[in-house]
Amino acid sequence: MTVWISGLSITLGVIAGFGVAVLRNANIPIVTQILTLYISVIRATPMITLVLFLFVMTPYLQVEIDRWIIAVAAMTINTTAFNAEIWRSALVTFSVEQIEAAKAAGMTRAQMLRRIMLPQMGITSLPGLVNEMTLLVKSSPAIAMVGIADLTRATNRITAITYKPLPPILAAAVLYLLIIGTMVWLQRKADKYAQRLAM
Amino acid sequence: MNDLSPVIEVDNLCKSFDGMEVLRSINFTVERGQIISIIGSSGSGKSTLLRCINWLEQPDRGTIRIVGNRIGIKDDGTPMSERELAKMRARMAMVFQGFNLWPHLNVLRNVTEAPVHVQGVAKDEAIAQAEVWLQRVGMLIKKDAYPYTLSGGQKQRVAIARALAMNPEVILFDEPTSALDPELVGEVQDVIGELAADNFTMVIVTHEMDFARSISNEVVFIDKGVVVEQAPPEKIFGNPETERLRQFVGKYR
Amino acid sequence: MKLYDWLTVWLNIDRVMLGFGVTILFFSVATVTAFTGGCVFVYLMDGKQNILKRSLRSALDVLRTLPFLIVLYLLYYGLPQIGIRMTSWTAGMIALSVYHASYYAEILRGARVALPQGQMESAKAHGFTPFQMYYRILLPQMVLRSGPLFGNLLVGCLKDTAFLSIITIYELTAAANALQAVYFIPMPAFIIVIFLYWIISLILERLLRLMGRYSKHRGLSYE
Repeated sequence: MTVWISGLSITLGVIAGFGVAVLRNANIPIVTQILTLYISVIRATPMITLVLFLFVMTPYLQVEIDRWIIAVAAMTINTTAFNAEIWRSALVTFSVEQIEAAKAAGMTRAQMLRRIMLPQMGITSLPGLVNEMTLLVKSSPAIAMVGIADLTRATNRITAITYKPLPPILAAAVLYLLIIGTMVWLQRKADKYAQRLAM
Repeated sequence: MNDLSPVIEVDNLCKSFDGMEVLRSINFTVERGQIISIIGSSGSGKSTLLRCINWLEQPDRGTIRIVGNRIGIKDDGTPMSERELAKMRARMAMVFQGFNLWPHLNVLRNVTEAPVHVQGVAKDEAIAQAEVWLQRVGMLIKKDAYPYTLSGGQKQRVAIARALAMNPEVILFDEPTSALDPELVGEVQDVIGELAADNFTMVIVTHEMDFARSISNEVVFIDKGVVVEQAPPEKIFGNPETERLRQFVGKYR
Repeated sequence: MKLYDWLTVWLNIDRVMLGFGVTILFFSVATVTAFTGGCVFVYLMDGKQNILKRSLRSALDVLRTLPFLIVLYLLYYGLPQIGIRMTSWTAGMIALSVYHASYYAEILRGARVALPQGQMESAKAHGFTPFQMYYRILLPQMVLRSGPLFGNLLVGCLKDTAFLSIITIYELTAAANALQAVYFIPMPAFIIVIFLYWIISLILERLLRLMGRYSKHRGLSYE
């Protein structure tokens, strides 16, 4: 369960983060301010608080939304903010010379973004993005608050039946270790890859 | 301790790195008030020799005594702990090729830090002493500055003041001018020269031949890990005995 | 509707402030403990490697690979099974401190490795004992060099305090939840609480920038 939700949020978050970063960089008056505020506030808010907020908000607004969607929404909103910052740093440090060359060759901004900037920014941002993915998985137990069958939640259920919490917690711990450990390994690979291409 | 026993006695010093013999049975003595220069080509082992004296490098064989006390190995044959080594090192001082000033402390603090915290000197006394030494090396006006604002020559002079503040039995210099721009070499050499005139005991590893010639009362020539010749500078530079030394000195004419 | 809700929050602001106080308490104590712990860990891991040091390093690595909530659970729910019981506050404090200490240790270790060999040598040559050398010469430089990296860690610790609500500690998020559960005012309650989290993180960022300027003044950082 956790894997699907996290995976979905990660994917959406990376794409959305890119979108936010580009949008913010476009310097449209009110939009930039709002986005900057959004990024700043969400980065400071704990995942639990965010999940809880959305969870109690929806019945209040008299909307009925599936718990799963809330979980994905919360995690995506959170990770998008962080990814936006990572993409932003790649965007801002992108070499001006290449942009000028692309402009001189007659590319539109969209073409330039897609063909020249995105591939390179993707590689530069890779370590940072993978790092954020790791952090997301580490805060994913927060969605247990919302009652979704999470790894953590599963241990709760087993505990309720057997009154022996330690084994399931340890099992959950090992599972997380494996998942996050793999991601850390991936991150190191991403680091080396980005460095090798010396961008 | 102002008696007449030698300050440093090196006996049968041997050291290998990765199977390569860098020092082969080195013997020499440093008497109080002597200024000894150690010269030799790169890789001859001269820096290693110096660093063995204060046990920054550990020799494989041999004894080194500092004012009669053996350093590095206790009387019962077991190696000294870091704390015991620290106590022995507190009686010597070293000036490094790379200056190695402590960047988070200003000049004055750099000079007082060791006396206060290693030797237990009272803070006011340490500051007073430090100012005397800084004046001596010409860096008193910069006492509140931080190392990163100083030139190489200035940093090295502060390093010398830092060494002097320990009231050491001997000062070890590890190629003190090698990392300096040519214009700055002179100011450091002048300072060392003045100290020489005041009878400080010093051991200087250097490849500045004229400098070695002018300030030392004895020069040791090391080649391929052995002491080839050891004599006053006039003899070493003016009338070298061995072929190897003649070759070496000849390059510097 | 909305205005009345805000008024309700205002009338119950003491409850929010209580939660806020608890959060700040946990955050401050844990940060100080974690930082000190991190320094101690790095000191223990320094020097010639042996089994003990490697085990410590592995243990800290494991700690960093786990989600905080799991560590919290292990302490509060798991340990009682093998006979070690503790209050929620004890568990929360220990978990927060030890978990983040491993992160501080990792950052400081990076700085330690980057320190020039000469610093250690000149300290040794002047007779500093290993502990003195560490405390007076190496550690100050390590801390000053790491400055910016601590920022992320601080905000992370602040956010992790929210997990404490799960083991029934009445901190800020729990306060928001309690308020909205009783009065059905999710919007204002949570908005105020999120605002408070935001303010603290802004203050932390400001403080860190000051420290950055301090270390630049000593020529130690590379910004």
